Amino acid sequence: MKRNIGFLLLSLCLVVFLTACGGASSSSADEVRLVLAAYTTPREAYGEIIPRFQDYWLSETGQKVVFEESYLGSGAQSRAVVEGFEADIVALSLEADVTRIQNAGLITHEWKAGEFKGIVTTSIVAFAVRQGNPKNVQDWPDLAKPGIEVLTPNPNMSGGAMWNILGLYGAALRGHINGVPADDHAAASEFLRQVLTNVSVMDKSARESILNYEMGIGDLAITYENEVLVGRNSGQNYELVIPTSTILIENPIAVVDVNVDRHGSREVAEAFVKFLYGREAQDIFARHGLRVVNPEAAAASAALYPQVEDLFTIDYFGGWEAVMVDYFGPEGIYNAVIMQVHRGE
Amino acid sequence: MNLDKKGLGGWFLIVVMVIYLGILIVGPIIALMTGAFQNGLMPAVRSISSAVFSQALALTMQIAILVVIIQLLVGTMIAWMLIRHEFPGKGILNGLIDVPFAISPVVVGYMLLLLFGRNSLIYPVLDRFNYRIVFATPGMFLATLFVCFPFMIREMVPVIQNLDRGQEYAAATLGASRWTSFWRIIFPQLKSGLIYGMTLTLARAIGEFGAVLVVGGGVQGRTETATLFIFRSMEERRYIEAYSAALLLGAFSVLIVFVADWLKRSHEKKRLVLSVDGGKP
Repeated sequence: MKRNIGFLLLSLCLVVFLTACGGASSSSADEVRLVLAAYTTPREAYGEIIPRFQDYWLSETGQKVVFEESYLGSGAQSRAVVEGFEADIVALSLEADVTRIQNAGLITHEWKAGEFKGIVTTSIVAFAVRQGNPKNVQDWPDLAKPGIEVLTPNPNMSGGAMWNILGLYGAALRGHINGVPADDHAAASEFLRQVLTNVSVMDKSARESILNYEMGIGDLAITYENEVLVGRNSGQNYELVIPTSTILIENPIAVVDVNVDRHGSREVAEAFVKFLYGREAQDIFARHGLRVVNPEAAAASAALYPQVEDLFTIDYFGGWEAVMVDYFGPEGIYNAVIMQVHRGE
Repeated sequence: MNLDKKGLGGWFLIVVMVIYLGILIVGPIIALMTGAFQNGLMPAVRSISSAVFSQALALTMQIAILVVIIQLLVGTMIAWMLIRHEFPGKGILNGLIDVPFAISPVVVGYMLLLLFGRNSLIYPVLDRFNYRIVFATPGMFLATLFVCFPFMIREMVPVIQNLDRGQEYAAATLGASRWTSFWRIIFPQLKSGLIYGMTLTLARAIGEFGAVLVVGGGVQGRTETATLFIFRSMEERRYIEAYSAALLLGAFSVLIVFVADWLKRSHEKKRLVLSVDGGKP
């Protein structure tokens, strides 16, 4: 009998525990919850922006905003939202990851329709090299030299990695690499193969890749310009090298319609996105190594961010939709080249 | 000839073992301690007393303890069934038990997403009741339960197999009820196995990372466990916090193992005394 009571109590506890945790919480009049699903690199900037937005919203409406933040690789984050992670706002590395959520029917508005086409920050693909640049890395061709150890994340998991591959490939295709004729896909693929042969570690996300570099692995990391600047801000002594030709990384942001409507948080979510485009937030992004889209903030931080000789965008490749098939699809250029590398050709 | 005398070979083996243990276990622990205390004791203490970490630790413990309780009951029951009962499909069940050993925890997370995620068949039903399994605690609990499933069973199977059935028959002959016979005869023999099984399960549950990350989404302050907190701290270059939290978690696991070992020993000693005394307490 005693045991039965114990068992009953235990099952009761279990039911209470699971029910308590499983229920989706909602907003009340004086408090609203906002779930932000972001990629890994702007986390420090959001850490500064969020408290300011909370103050702003409290003074505007008297409502307290409670943030729930998650930072994962862009691709992983996008898939999580599609699988049921109820993010109100997604801040991802690249457009294709937002499109995936849109295709799942969760984003129903024209998120690219605004003034900035849904892009909240930008950056460029650049290199982190060891202090004093001992291997004398100046531009893309140096990455293909034998004996240099390169880090770049895995394009199948990380948005940053895709940008890296496209930056390299575009520079080759546009005739900015000695010995690689312009518009020659075979030669550009061969150059990509040479660089990928030098890659020693492919991490899950851009942040993990640069952290491994900080642990002393590799001679050079292909990464976002902002990752290098954030690392240097936190006391790392590697240096930034900007290649002559590289791609402009454009990071989108979007409100997830289905989720904000379910949570009743549309108003605050849209206000947050608007706040991110404002001068105050854009200045913070700029301080954390990101190039910004707000013209005033961009002008103010121009000295920190040198012009690139040959800067191209994703449009050069025909947009993300084409790139996801031609470059990162199962039959795409990247997969063909990485297979060659694995076979040791 | 003295068999206890160590020859050259014996000493060699000892040296090899010490070096091996040093590299494998002591080295990383010292590195971790150096990392945690690089700025002295206070920063380390401060970082593990932060509200965010306490919350993460509480979630880890909540999940781990629940998993241990369930495995204590269900795992032991399954082990008992496997040894004492014959039923169709027993071979298949026996094979299934080890499946969690073979599957990578990250894949476990994705399996749960497929089963309970937004695109699953069951999702509309869950949604109807506004109940969340994935990206919420229940999913993380299920993931942990899955990866911890075999430990209790595999620990208990040999213990139950080695039970002295003679004592059970004797008890039955002397008129003991099944209940009395369970508590007085069977349970004392199971005890050390149960303790060890619980220890393994608890340690595994506390350490789980991949499955809870995938199924929980790593939302700070909600689905962030202690291991996910460590991972995030590393990513944000808050190394002292990461190392201190890892050290605390590691120390806790070591403590569990020691306590379990001590309980087992004292229990065995008692049993030894009992059998020498002819059962008189």
